Amino acid sequence: MSLPTDFGPDSGGRMKGIVIVKPIVYGNIARYFGKKREEDGHTHQWTVYVKPYNNEDMSTYVKKVQFKLHESYANQNRIVVKPPYELSETGWGEFEIVIKIYFHDPNERPVTMYHILKLFHSGSTQDIGIEQSKGLVSESYDEIIFQDPTQLMHHLLTNTKQLSLGNWEHNTNFEEKKEKTLKTILEAKQKVRSEIANLKNKLKLAKETISSFKEEIAKCQENQFVI
Amino acid sequence: MADVRDIMELERPSTPEVTRDMIMGHDKVKKKTSTGPKVPRRPEGMHREVFALLYNDNKDAPPLFPSDTIGNNGYKQTKIKLGMRKPRKWMWMPFTNPARTDNATFHHWRRPSDEPKEYPFAKFNKKVDIPKYTDVEYQQHLKCDRWSKEETDHLMELAERFDLRFIIMADRYNSEKFSKRSVEDLKQRYYKICGILAKMSGEKRIYTYDADHERRRKEQLKKLYQRKPEQIEEEQFLISELKKIEARKKERERKTQDLQKLISQADSQNDTPRRSDKKITKKKITNLNRPSRVDTNHILQSIESAGIKFPDYKNSGVSLRSQRMKLPANVGQKKSKGVEQILQEMDLELNPTPSEEICQHFNELRSDMVLLMEIKSALGTCEYELQSLRHQYEAVNPGKTLSIPPQLMPNTTEVEAKINTSEIIDVVGSPETQSNI
Repeated sequence: MSLPTDFGPDSGGRMKGIVIVKPIVYGNIARYFGKKREEDGHTHQWTVYVKPYNNEDMSTYVKKVQFKLHESYANQNRIVVKPPYELSETGWGEFEIVIKIYFHDPNERPVTMYHILKLFHSGSTQDIGIEQSKGLVSESYDEIIFQDPTQLMHHLLTNTKQLSLGNWEHNTNFEEKKEKTLKTILEAKQKVRSEIANLKNKLKLAKETISSFKEEIAKCQENQFVI
Repeated sequence: MADVRDIMELERPSTPEVTRDMIMGHDKVKKKTSTGPKVPRRPEGMHREVFALLYNDNKDAPPLFPSDTIGNNGYKQTKIKLGMRKPRKWMWMPFTNPARTDNATFHHWRRPSDEPKEYPFAKFNKKVDIPKYTDVEYQQHLKCDRWSKEETDHLMELAERFDLRFIIMADRYNSEKFSKRSVEDLKQRYYKICGILAKMSGEKRIYTYDADHERRRKEQLKKLYQRKPEQIEEEQFLISELKKIEARKKERERKTQDLQKLISQADSQNDTPRRSDKKITKKKITNLNRPSRVDTNHILQSIESAGIKFPDYKNSGVSLRSQRMKLPANVGQKKSKGVEQILQEMDLELNPTPSEEICQHFNELRSDMVLLMEIKSALGTCEYELQSLRHQYEAVNPGKTLSIPPQLMPNTTEVEAKINTSEIIDVVGSPETQSNI
């Protein structure tokens, strides 16, 4: 392990100026039993998960993933130490799951994500959930940004292995989604910018008119005084 | 039934069970059950099983087994028959102790039937083997500057006599003839001789006696034993003081560590130009929030740089991209609600997929939206001021008016017009009253 050592004394062992981005996908799939289970009233089986967006083995740099469930579950904090970072349970209600990713280097603080467990179709167009043969899918894309990683972390982050040889696909087509979102945002930006330009002109005019009005009034008052 | 009730700790049923007798009207039976002695309650802590032995459902006497011995005083035989044999004799007999060297004869009680044996306690008289040496051996190996042959002989004799009880040996030491010797001195000399002699006879394990160590040990014990109560108290006091000092030291170390942490944090924050930025934006915001009625000049200038200032995220460490899309805390609720509303009107997601590009443009978009809102409100203020100026003019110059450029007329949209007219009505009054005065 030969690493560059010119970090300077104040770097705290961190490699200044280096940024590593690791995209991830987190969310849940859910399947309806078809009926309410009699013994506990549960209706769905669900699996909450965190997986790499790209085909790589996260365990190289991830120490563990903690899923904090609703307090009504036994052992509210579930910890998964090796991939796949997922957790299956049954239940009847939706709640917020706190997902915390810990890294191998204790100097890098863990990151926390919040996922609303989805079991039911809400029907809105904003809904991320996609109906598939697997059941309901609700997942989000995010990126973990390692700003000035420590030496150890840098080494771990840049030495990940491929997770599987086959195609690495997600339930949601995030590439398409990203493209579409970006397009609409850019369009909206254009629109807002043009409106701003328009209003700015108006404001300028208003300002000019105000000063001219003030002059007029001042003139009149002077006249009055003279009379 | 009573057992179950006992377990459940219930009283007997208040309503007696319905029987044929009750229906037939036999009061006697009923009375008997109610007037009978009350069932004694089980005392606290008494086991149910034990209580059941005393009292059962029928409250009859404890079970007894009939016996035919009652007539004969309760015993099977009236007189006990003890041993039939004749008692053996004890005799006052003489004996000798083989452990003694003087053949003294003593007496003790003994059965003559027992064969005379060796006195059983004689075996406890153990003799120590004191090594012997000849004159030649002494001259060759055992010579010592501080011990003469005579004194050494005396020592060995005492050792023999008192079976190595060194305390007694020191006590009986012939201090008139020889100089006074301590217990350690005697031991040192004796064990030295033993060691040398054992070595000569080919013994492998030689024991040595560390007299100095022993002296020091005794010295210490003596000191410990001779401490005065004040000294003991002082020691306790000192120990507690030491503990206090150590606790304080630990506390101090902890504090300096905390301070160090704070300093390093402050340093890392100073690296980024965030602090100065914050000040400027704050100033701008306060200006924007209270647009002056009289002077609108500054609005235009300050508005140029309005919008949302997202933090730079230059700090080291791990973060999520989606965190960078969070509106900073200094953006008020009114503004964030406004942004949310515009986003919904434009059919945009409130939390889009956070890729780097989207994140950047989304933040810029929302910053523009805030800017737009600021301009709109500034424009509203200007329009309002125009109106009021016109009324002022009309009041000064009756019959004349000033023309507001059509694009600045507030009635471009109905809602805005409504708000503005109500304001105008309010304002109209003031210039007139002014003129009346």
